[in-house]
Amino acid sequence: MIGTAIRYAPLLILAALWEAVTRLGIVPREMLPPLSTVFVAFVGMLRDGSLPANAAQSFLRGAAGLAAAIVVGFLLGAGMALRPRFHAVAGPLVQAFYPLPKTALVPLVMIWFGLGDMGKIVLIFLGCLLPVTLGTYNGIRGVDRVLVWSARSLGARPREILLEVMLPAALPQLLTGLRTATAFAFLLMVASELIIANNGLGYLIGSLGDNGAYPAMYAAIMTVIALGFFADRGFAALSAHLLRWRA
Amino acid sequence: MSVPASSDGIAIEHLSFSYRSKMGAAVRALDDVSLTVPAGSFHALLGPSGCGKSTLLYCIGGFLGVNSGSIRTAKGIVAGPGPERGVVFQNFALFPWKTVRQNVLYGIGKRGTKGEEARARAQSFIDMVHLTGFEDSFPSQLSGGMQQRAALARTLAADPDILLMDEPFGALDAQTRRIMQEELLAIWRQTRKTVVFVTHDVAEAVYLADTISVMSARPGRIRQTIAAGFNRDPDPGVFKRPAFTELVEQIWQMVRAEVDQARGAVRA
Amino acid sequence: MSGQAALERLPGRSGWARPGPWLRIAALRASGIVGVLVVWAIVGQFGLVRPFLVPPLPAVVAQLGDDVVTGGFAISAASTLYRALAGFALACAIGIPVGILISRNRLVGWFVTPIVSVGFPTPTLAFLPIFMLWFGVFDLSKIVMTTFSTVFTVIAAADAGTRGVERHLVWSAESLGAKRTAVFFEVMLPAAMPQILTGLQVALPLALIVEVAAEMLMGGDGLGGRMLQAENYADSVGVYAGIIEIAVVGAIAVGGMARLRQRLLRWHVETAAR
Repeated sequence: MIGTAIRYAPLLILAALWEAVTRLGIVPREMLPPLSTVFVAFVGMLRDGSLPANAAQSFLRGAAGLAAAIVVGFLLGAGMALRPRFHAVAGPLVQAFYPLPKTALVPLVMIWFGLGDMGKIVLIFLGCLLPVTLGTYNGIRGVDRVLVWSARSLGARPREILLEVMLPAALPQLLTGLRTATAFAFLLMVASELIIANNGLGYLIGSLGDNGAYPAMYAAIMTVIALGFFADRGFAALSAHLLRWRA
Repeated sequence: MSVPASSDGIAIEHLSFSYRSKMGAAVRALDDVSLTVPAGSFHALLGPSGCGKSTLLYCIGGFLGVNSGSIRTAKGIVAGPGPERGVVFQNFALFPWKTVRQNVLYGIGKRGTKGEEARARAQSFIDMVHLTGFEDSFPSQLSGGMQQRAALARTLAADPDILLMDEPFGALDAQTRRIMQEELLAIWRQTRKTVVFVTHDVAEAVYLADTISVMSARPGRIRQTIAAGFNRDPDPGVFKRPAFTELVEQIWQMVRAEVDQARGAVRA
Repeated sequence: MSGQAALERLPGRSGWARPGPWLRIAALRASGIVGVLVVWAIVGQFGLVRPFLVPPLPAVVAQLGDDVVTGGFAISAASTLYRALAGFALACAIGIPVGILISRNRLVGWFVTPIVSVGFPTPTLAFLPIFMLWFGVFDLSKIVMTTFSTVFTVIAAADAGTRGVERHLVWSAESLGAKRTAVFFEVMLPAAMPQILTGLQVALPLALIVEVAAEMLMGGDGLGGRMLQAENYADSVGVYAGIIEIAVVGAIAVGGMARLRQRLLRWHVETAAR
């Protein structure tokens, strides 16, 4: 407990600095509202429901896109790792897709789906697909074949080998891919909602900024950052638990 | 037997070393170790795993500070690493981004030799370890045995008085290990450096060393120091001589006793 | 009969050699992309989908050609690349020294680590409106946004790289007579290079992602800005062409980085020929 406090103390120091610098007028308040004012605006948005409502919309879309990416990405990566023919066909497509900055797909998604939910979900799906695919592919490829041979000689059947040997052995790489995908989900959620601005946390940030409600805008931004941070922390804890057998 | 000028004895007196484990507990790795290694002699350190023999070597090397006691050479008290105490590690520790030649030149350059003289010196040591022709290869292109030769050449080229070797042949296959042992002996007979050699292979120690110290399990102490001396004449059949095998058996029993005692202590 | 022998016995077409396995593999590899193009051409040809959703392939190709010939692509691409690379370079200039310092200095490590662990996984793009407020809507704010988004990745990689340097390498250098600064520049830095470069290879695509998003929000002369403009004018041909153009820019950046890695790490286990 104390260890965590000491570890994150610098953030508290920065927060104190923020408050001091703005209260003392070193930085103009229009540019950087004091932390206390931001906090008041934050509480206000909680009370009037704007923050929870938009957060829920963002979360649902992000989760849907991420979930779809996990399912499809896993199948894609596993297929490429286990079937050379499939790898020969799908590999170049994945490689071609990789360097494309996924935010470039926002206008495309707007053309296909207009301004609704589906577009943002598809965007997040496309953006999270690659990390999951690569993580699965590398994970399964990296499984030491003597593990598979041991299982075979102990009498395991192909499906059992896939689920009971390959999956746990590939788990570290898989989880790394998922962690990256989660970060991408947040990134594309914010990007799509800032650009296709009709609801969600990104929209909230943008519209508050347009209306000059800067303390509330800062509060919304901090909320998004905090959500992304805790999501990553949660994922790290989950990974540590699932991988506790590792050295 | 006259000893050439560039070799140095080591005097270790009442050396103790502790460190903090990951859990925070203080671990006593070495407990009141005293040892004298005469200049020009080949000394082996044997003991069960974790007994601190590598730690002792690292203390002599100056990489670890001591809690109490002292390590002294002709140059004075050991306070840090230095070219007069060269090191060879089990995993070679070659600079992977440098070629063999560049690795060997590294220590030479630090000693102040440059240019043509440095290159000639590097070449002579590369030839000495039988790596002629591989001067421009990267470590990743060499086998384990070749990498270890390169590491040896690099250390020797810096002209140390003392050679500290930490299970240098442990990562090599048995055949390469035998060949390297013979080559190391040949080099030692030629250069007569003081050598401290850590190993867990009793036969290797008996083959190579003048004297062997058997260490206890943690906390490491020196239990006994035995004279060997089979390294004086280059006879490949020495491994089969009765005196040799008897000594190996005798020392192995000593090490075995230390292992058992450690196990007993754990169970208790 | 062994497999190899069986292969050798198979009769080929009269007079023709059987196509070797490499040809089949090459054909398979091309089939994915070729397949997509063929499907696209067919869809456009037979009007299976509204041309607004999927404009005909020839129209997009024509737009691409036009952009290249008029220099529009070159100008926009250069603009986007300039800002993305500037932000990336700044992130490296700040991030690599900071990351190294974290692993070597306790105080700096304690202070900066929590900041990095917050900045690294979070959508720093959310700060865009703040940067627009502070720096306006031109190059500066976009570059600052890109730097801010990528610096944490670089710091983390530099920290991990220097921390991961095998201590026996440092000890060897010290015992060969190297002093502190020499050990740092001659041993630690080269040894940390592989991991630092890996971090840079992750940060560069991220820089492009953020730059494109920033352009879409702030406008300007980059590829992102042009694409969003095309969308606003319901110019789906322009959008499709824009995607291909950005993909090309991305491929150049990623490929360049990979080539740089190859050159700098010629000695590495992965790249050295055995």
